[in-house]
Amino acid sequence: MRLRCSQLQVTFPTSSGSVPALRDLSFDSREGEFLTFVGPSGCGKTTLLRVLAGLLAPDAGEFERIPGPHDDNPSVLLVSQEHNLFPWMTACANAAFGLEMQGVPRAERDARAGELLARLGCASKERAYPCQLSMGMKQRVAVARCFLSDPAMMLMDEPFAALDCQTRMVLQQELLDLWEQDRKSVVFVTHDVEEAILLSDRILLLSEGPGAVVAEYEVPARRPRRALLEMDGDLWELKQRILGSLRLAAGSVRYACVS
Amino acid sequence: MRLVRFIGARFWLVALLLAGWQFLSARRILDPLFFPPPTKLGATFAALLLSGELGRGLSATLARTCLGLFAGVVCGGLVSIVLCVSPRLRTAVQPLVSALYSTPRLTMLPMVMLVFGVNEASRLALVALSAGLVIVIQVSDAVRGVSRDYVDLATNYGASRAVIVRRVYLPACLPQIFTALRLCTGRALVLTISIEMMISNDGIGSMIWSSWQSFAIDKLYVSVMLAGVLGLLSGPMFQMIEHRFVPWRSGQA
Repeated sequence: MRLRCSQLQVTFPTSSGSVPALRDLSFDSREGEFLTFVGPSGCGKTTLLRVLAGLLAPDAGEFERIPGPHDDNPSVLLVSQEHNLFPWMTACANAAFGLEMQGVPRAERDARAGELLARLGCASKERAYPCQLSMGMKQRVAVARCFLSDPAMMLMDEPFAALDCQTRMVLQQELLDLWEQDRKSVVFVTHDVEEAILLSDRILLLSEGPGAVVAEYEVPARRPRRALLEMDGDLWELKQRILGSLRLAAGSVRYACVS
Repeated sequence: MRLVRFIGARFWLVALLLAGWQFLSARRILDPLFFPPPTKLGATFAALLLSGELGRGLSATLARTCLGLFAGVVCGGLVSIVLCVSPRLRTAVQPLVSALYSTPRLTMLPMVMLVFGVNEASRLALVALSAGLVIVIQVSDAVRGVSRDYVDLATNYGASRAVIVRRVYLPACLPQIFTALRLCTGRALVLTISIEMMISNDGIGSMIWSSWQSFAIDKLYVSVMLAGVLGLLSGPMFQMIEHRFVPWRSGQA
């Protein structure tokens, strides 16, 4: 599935008037692309994903979902940063929730969920409830649920932001391995530039609230990739360019506020 | 061994107090007429148990509590469902429920008797009303407290409204529903015994009041203590049921 968004606009009403979260946000995504939005906190990244997931209607602008040739299941699924799992279901039942909604019989969905969880190193935690899982395990289960449903597009809202550095690296590699099998379209959101370079094909930079696309970068690294991607040559330069633009994107708004 | 430690940790103070009481009463520092020694209370307890009076009182109180509780929980549950479906009705019903909830339940006994008469129906109706109010307040509170994130998550995976109710709202509210049940069981017991003191010829409350009237002080103590023990037992009973039905809460690592 690919997306075509033009002039998206979202404002939130507050007690002191309405606050714009997204302003005139336009972009196109490609079929099978790993597209990442990077931006300073409060740039409307989460709002954008909620719009794309169909959980929030934009106040203005349009977006179109164009199914690809191999999309049997046209759904668009969201993996968020927190509150990803139902506390009242075991890890296995949570991972199998998407299959349950698709009407897959219990034995089959439990087997498939168990298999994927085992591959992600959660085999012993299958019967555990989320309160007994570490943050890393929880996100693995959430990612497993998303992949098991085999959606046409996956939206990921800083899924690894709350993890410690080592766990994040392990999960990034697991995500790369899983994703590079089928290469379904992904829209990923992060504030971590290295993570963006490691995972994505293309990076879009968002300005600080209200969010709008201010820059675009292609990532020249080949696939399959390793989580210990050498940040040298082109990639190092790319990282510096993005960091520079990020500072500008954050700064310009602040100057605008002062004047 | 674990059981001994479990009981020891909870009841050493009770045992100490009883021993002190026994000592003071035997030495006549406490007037044994007003404070009969625990050994004498034990003998009275055994006598009441053997004569069957205790069993009759206990079963009357328990039957009344359970019946009233059952009726109240069922009615309260049904009302809660209606209120969840219709937010407009909920807004209108809220002040009524709050007013009833903050009125001491026993003060409504005369009104209830005007409607049902001085009979079993009145006693049950008041217990049921009390339980129903707790359920309605707690359940609507629980439903409003369900995180939007979980509803969004289920919606995102294509869950229908019915599925969201069954797989999200119901389990999300279950812990608070159990809290409500525990709360209204305790209240139902207290209320039943209070009502029995006023308008009943059987039950523990009636035993307490008639012992007071006939100045059977040891029987009075035994009945009051029995009421206390009943309340004490209802807590752990619910905890056991809750562990069974809400494993994700008790499973905290």
